[in-house]
Amino acid sequence: MTDPVLSVTDLSIRMQGAPTDLVDGLSFDLMPGETLCVVGESGCGKSLTALALMGLLPTPPLRLTGGSARFAGRDLFAMSAPERRQIRGGDMAMIFQEPMTSLNPALRIGEQIAESVRRHSGASRDAARQRALEMLERVRIPAPHKRLDEYPHQLSGGMRQRAMIAMALANDPSVLIADEPTTALDVTIQAQILDLMRALQQQSRTALILITHDLGVVAEMADKVLVMYAGRAVEAGPAASIFRDPQHPYTIGLMSSMPSLGTRTDRLVTIPGVVPPPNALPDGCRFAARCPFADAACAAKPAFDMLGDGHGVACWHAPIEQTRSPAPAMGAIA
Amino acid sequence: MSTIADPQTQITDPAPARRGSRFWTKFRANRAALLGGVLVTFFVAVALLAPVLPLVDPTATDWLAVRKPPSPAHPFGTDEIGRDVLSRMGWGAQASLLAGVVSVAIAVLLGVPLGMLAGYLRGWTDAIISRMTEALLAAPFLILAIALAAFLGPSLSNAMIAIGLSAMPIFIRLARAQTLSVMTEDYVESARAIGLRDGALIWRYILPNIIPPILVQSTLTIATAIIAEASLSFLGLGQQPPAPSWGSMLNIAKNFLEQAPWMALYPGIAIFLVVLGFNLLGDGLRDALDPRDH
Repeated sequence: MTDPVLSVTDLSIRMQGAPTDLVDGLSFDLMPGETLCVVGESGCGKSLTALALMGLLPTPPLRLTGGSARFAGRDLFAMSAPERRQIRGGDMAMIFQEPMTSLNPALRIGEQIAESVRRHSGASRDAARQRALEMLERVRIPAPHKRLDEYPHQLSGGMRQRAMIAMALANDPSVLIADEPTTALDVTIQAQILDLMRALQQQSRTALILITHDLGVVAEMADKVLVMYAGRAVEAGPAASIFRDPQHPYTIGLMSSMPSLGTRTDRLVTIPGVVPPPNALPDGCRFAARCPFADAACAAKPAFDMLGDGHGVACWHAPIEQTRSPAPAMGAIA
Repeated sequence: MSTIADPQTQITDPAPARRGSRFWTKFRANRAALLGGVLVTFFVAVALLAPVLPLVDPTATDWLAVRKPPSPAHPFGTDEIGRDVLSRMGWGAQASLLAGVVSVAIAVLLGVPLGMLAGYLRGWTDAIISRMTEALLAAPFLILAIALAAFLGPSLSNAMIAIGLSAMPIFIRLARAQTLSVMTEDYVESARAIGLRDGALIWRYILPNIIPPILVQSTLTIATAIIAEASLSFLGLGQQPPAPSWGSMLNIAKNFLEQAPWMALYPGIAIFLVVLGFNLLGDGLRDALDPRDH
């Protein structure tokens, strides 16, 4: 068994002056070449986790309150700022959600990619430019020679996201964090970008943390899935196992609220209620207020129990036996 | 599973327009801005070409032609010691435009780095720079310039320094505000994500993106600075006799308004036109560079 390339233990993030952690005791391992999908609704701490791993957490108002992230044998959170900068964009890279605004409008595409290369490999201007061209070819941008000297506004959204991917992968990172890389793109482009990321990942054995709230993307991409709810991991495990046999009521709710192709028979299933606001997070199970299975036990914080073959869940009622129709007690909005 | 050659992944070329050409299209469609550009170009040309234009010596006196109204020999008339007004205006354009451009350059070169520093570092640096800026802004622009010029001593270069320092706070505030807004842009975050150092981030990501508003403000401030130089010269704190500047010409002309109104009329019109030109140009630049319409 190989060692994980990134091993996060008990990561906790808190907002200044808040009584509870926004991200609370998150742990996961990432193997080389593996794709981990982090799923959850808006505000559940997915992006904060990504920023914390990259060392880009805006502090203040946010701060790390605990945990460690071992990357290549060293704790990221114990490193000095220059050491972090060295890793950022080099061994660990990130792709952001908004390709339309994530490129510097005043710099040519080629210069932006070359900048990252020169920063990390100390390559000459010419060599970095050559590398930028090579990367544009790898992300299948048409007419890469021409694109190299164009400004971001001359590129479409899909091409800009390809350029972002080129920039992120230019230094052969061992971990790539993609924060909703396809959310801002239209559906056909989404599929192309996902295909591209998977192809590049297979070439380079880069481990991918893919943050998304789109279960379709998860089904397409994930080796492993981590489901987050209100800052905590509620369920994690191999993608196949999570899709076949979701154990946490929240995961079950997510799965059954997914629209599918075919004749529409009924209204989409929804999970009643909303995520508790960060200043009113309960001490016990954070999903209890919306959970059809909740009872007195849920007032205490459930431990993250392993059910076997890497599938773990944080629920007092797990394992939940499911009938063929999932989530019998989840109410559709009538 | 697609392969590299998958035709589906080919994207059609959207045939994008050049950033520069879009700017020009918008700028050219704006008549007022074009007029401003023509006025400014005209006065800059006069100032630059003054030495080679067929102008008589602007300091040569002619006791036989004192305070003569416009005539073929002196198209703009002569002043109180018989100097040619047209020639003095041509050479005076140098002083006026130089005062406008140099003082704004001083204001930009000092103000923009200070403002960017305040906006980038925030905290104590920001507090100190911002409080000092507010203190400077508390004094009206012209009063401050007059006080500084009086303190530095009367000369054209001191007048430029005084005007530059007085105009600096506007640029500190503008650069600070623009830096704060650019810092929230996603591309700054993605620049951090590729591990760029502060220096590279400021120089290549923040500065180029705050230049358009600063360019617009500079054009408008040049107009203000030209008036300020005229005012200082009018008060005797700018260009010193016998060298000409529009402001000092007005200063002397005020004594002869009834006997020789042309002495005041032409420098006054020149100041009006060049200030109008810079204002129209600045407005035009602002509209053409406005990213909201792109």
